[in-house]
Amino acid sequence: MLVVMKRLSYNCALPGIRLLPLFNMKTPNVLAAACAFAFASAAFAAEQPAGNADRGRDKSSMCVGCHNIPGYKTAFPSVYSVPKLDGQHAAYVVSALRAYKSGERKHPSMRAIAASLSDQDMADLAAFYAAAPAQQASR
Amino acid sequence: MRTLKIAVVASMFALAGTASAANPDAGKEKSKPCAACHGADGNSAAADFPRLAGQHYDYLVKAMKDYKSGARKNAVMSPQVANLDQRDFEDLAAYYSKQQGLVTRKNSYLVH
Repeated sequence: MLVVMKRLSYNCALPGIRLLPLFNMKTPNVLAAACAFAFASAAFAAEQPAGNADRGRDKSSMCVGCHNIPGYKTAFPSVYSVPKLDGQHAAYVVSALRAYKSGERKHPSMRAIAASLSDQDMADLAAFYAAAPAQQASR
Repeated sequence: MRTLKIAVVASMFALAGTASAANPDAGKEKSKPCAACHGADGNSAAADFPRLAGQHYDYLVKAMKDYKSGARKNAVMSPQVANLDQRDFEDLAAYYSKQQGLVTRKNSYLVH
């Protein structure tokens, strides 16, 4: 619960700071909405299954053909480099996969792939990609 | 007169050239509002916010354009990019793509 509360206060504080200058008149509403959203996402996150990086590696065969070829580009629907995932935060990978599955985020192949994934699959794949240490700048 | 024309055309090319080159230093300056969530160098501390450091330049530009056009929807990102233009996107992408962070593991699924 402490973790959830810390997460909640963090999520509430950040969008509040970010949005203050933009929505001066609506600040209370925006803050309330941001906190409600943060609470919902915190509660939602608590239901997420724990990811297993080893199982994620075994499930990654349909990802690596694009995401683990250095410099690989999409050909459809437009040409751009396929995003790097190694070192990405697990929570963000899960949220991206969920958005593809729901159709909220659009990409034909990602939608089809995400549609085939369970919550456990997403958590495992996210753990696998997050397990790759991001190259840290010298600091 | 002919010399003048050549000079005018040449300067137009020069201007166009400077306008199209993404500038990572300008991107660093423009990235200050982004740092609160994504980290000063694009290595975000909080897992909800994607790491941008080391991400591909063209993917970053596309992501920001999609947020601006509404093709990609996010309550936090939409207002952030609303007042940015293509040049801003390119400068920001140039900065983040040059930072140390994300990598691509080749054949990672074969490594046990």
